[in-house]
Amino acid sequence: MREINRYDKSREYYERASKVIPSGVYGHQGPAEGCFVPVEAFPFFSEKAQGSYFWDVDGNRFIDYMCAYGPNILGYNDPDVDAAAAEQRKKGDCITAPSTKMIEFAELMVDTVASADWAFFAKNGNDVTTLSIMAARAYTKRKKIVFFKGYYHGVSPWTQKLDYPGIIEEDVCNNIYIPWNDSDALGEVFDKYKGEIAAVISQPYMHGNFKDNVLPAGGFWQRVRKLCDDNDTVLIIDDVRAGFRLDIAGSDHYFGFEADMICFCKALANGYNVSALCGKDFLKNTISGMTFTGSYWLSAVPFAAGIACVTKMREMDIAKVLDEKGKKLRDGLVGAAKSHGFDLRVTGAPSLFYLRIADDPTLSLHQRWVAECVKRGVYFTNHHNHFINAALSDEDIAETVQVANEAFEVVKKN
Amino acid sequence: MKDSRVLAYINLYAILGNIPILCELVPEAADTIRGEKVRLGISVKGGPSATLCFEDGKCRVEDGADNCDIKLPFASPEKFNGMIDGTVQPFPSKGFTKLGFLTKKFTKLTDILTKYLKASESDLQNPDFFRTSTLIMLHLIVEAAARIGNEDKVGKVSASNFEDGITAVMIGNYCVGIEGKGGKLKAIHTNPPKYTSSMSFESIELARNIFDGKVNSVAAVGLGQVRIGGFISQVDNLNRILDRVSYYLV
Repeated sequence: MREINRYDKSREYYERASKVIPSGVYGHQGPAEGCFVPVEAFPFFSEKAQGSYFWDVDGNRFIDYMCAYGPNILGYNDPDVDAAAAEQRKKGDCITAPSTKMIEFAELMVDTVASADWAFFAKNGNDVTTLSIMAARAYTKRKKIVFFKGYYHGVSPWTQKLDYPGIIEEDVCNNIYIPWNDSDALGEVFDKYKGEIAAVISQPYMHGNFKDNVLPAGGFWQRVRKLCDDNDTVLIIDDVRAGFRLDIAGSDHYFGFEADMICFCKALANGYNVSALCGKDFLKNTISGMTFTGSYWLSAVPFAAGIACVTKMREMDIAKVLDEKGKKLRDGLVGAAKSHGFDLRVTGAPSLFYLRIADDPTLSLHQRWVAECVKRGVYFTNHHNHFINAALSDEDIAETVQVANEAFEVVKKN
Repeated sequence: MKDSRVLAYINLYAILGNIPILCELVPEAADTIRGEKVRLGISVKGGPSATLCFEDGKCRVEDGADNCDIKLPFASPEKFNGMIDGTVQPFPSKGFTKLGFLTKKFTKLTDILTKYLKASESDLQNPDFFRTSTLIMLHLIVEAAARIGNEDKVGKVSASNFEDGITAVMIGNYCVGIEGKGGKLKAIHTNPPKYTSSMSFESIELARNIFDGKVNSVAAVGLGQVRIGGFISQVDNLNRILDRVSYYLV
């Protein structure tokens, strides 16, 4: 059996952080939103990262299946991406006039992403999902937006729900929520709100939290595309989470349709901070006329990193690589579960898989198993999809399955 | 803006509805109504109706106010809420021969309830009082959460996302719960034998600080002072409703 991690320094740092930072570590990487159950099983702060691993402040090494919640796609500190970024940093980063790296990056995006005629860069996924909604409203002169339940499109007020702190009715009164995979429901809302719907926004498949992930039903996206066309409504794909892990040309391409706008972030530059909105030509003029910018949005270093990252992903056929690794891992984990009499469900795409032990509907058993894995150096989270990166080796996968076996053994005994 | 109708539900079911718990936890309250057998109906036009059934030192709450000995009708939620605030004087429409219960024993009971719900700093120095007061608040909060989830416009959004099952809310071994079924919530004032998720406070002092808004429960999760587990999306939605509870109870 492996040694169990200790997190003494993590705890000390967390207590220190709590004094000066609201909730210590906020958001998805924090213990509450990140569902650290129990908190004692998880590290709070990292020291360093390399390839498919990160080390916490106590010196524990983790095979990392969260990949910084997506950005790490090639492996932490990828030498090619880092070299390109370093080269640009010598020349300059945040400068009064933007670098021509921005043009190169936009050209590369247009050449890579099937539905892209142009590219607009920002920093976070939320920046570009928000821009896409504003652009759809500006183009159509309509207010209403259709969402699929279980969505996540960022944290701006329009993405949140009426019962979230700080949200007022006016923020969300034009939001329409329908069930995922239900194109009939979409048809009904188009009939009900004839001429009022500016956009349909969706992730390429349902990778919401707390539930098994659900791929699109056969013909679903084609029906959605047609309904949007028939109703002059803009179709936006939020590919922030899944982008490049299904298809280098975009997840709409993977599922056989074309979005009007598609949002990227996370894996776009292997951890360098840049996001992109790509879209069809008919929306370019609308975007041109919009007031939407930020202090660091045109910084050159992330553009250089993005160019290197996208180029490398293209060369290595990233989606195929990650799919193969994801399948190997999936088979190993499911086999380990089965050998201990557990029903481990692995849903979503293999490159961004979601885990759930189905034997206990309260998910407590699942939480105990995840905790035992983390304590032994395999970083899973309880109720969020995971991510595969290209640096993950067969040895890493074998070690993960070994840890999973130990963890199953422990939860079976207790 | 507070919805006076929702506030009336909270006032009836979570504030007055806390009298049964008060009688269980505070001997003085039980003694006040010992030997009594009275049904006090409260009917709010455009709002809730319920009956407080007193019998030999105990009390229970029934929905509806048709079967009662004393009836207090209110023309609107605002009038009823005014009675709770002490700005409106109630007039019974039935039970004039039992007015003594209303003016003496029931008034004494509500005074005891107020003492525990709006506790003074000096009373809270007594550990037993502190504990009882906090447990009464716990019951009030879960009942108010259920009513807000079922009646409040924003609360209904959270309730609709609350998956079927029970969230246990624990302070040490003391446990209550809130049950969701088909988007409707129900407070459970006894220890639920089974639950699908849990939120557990490390100590009664911490629970009090969270109830009083001095400590944030999200921050306390990271410090291990509040433990969450099981079907956490239920806890997440309950927390959103608890935010509304403090809004209504301020």
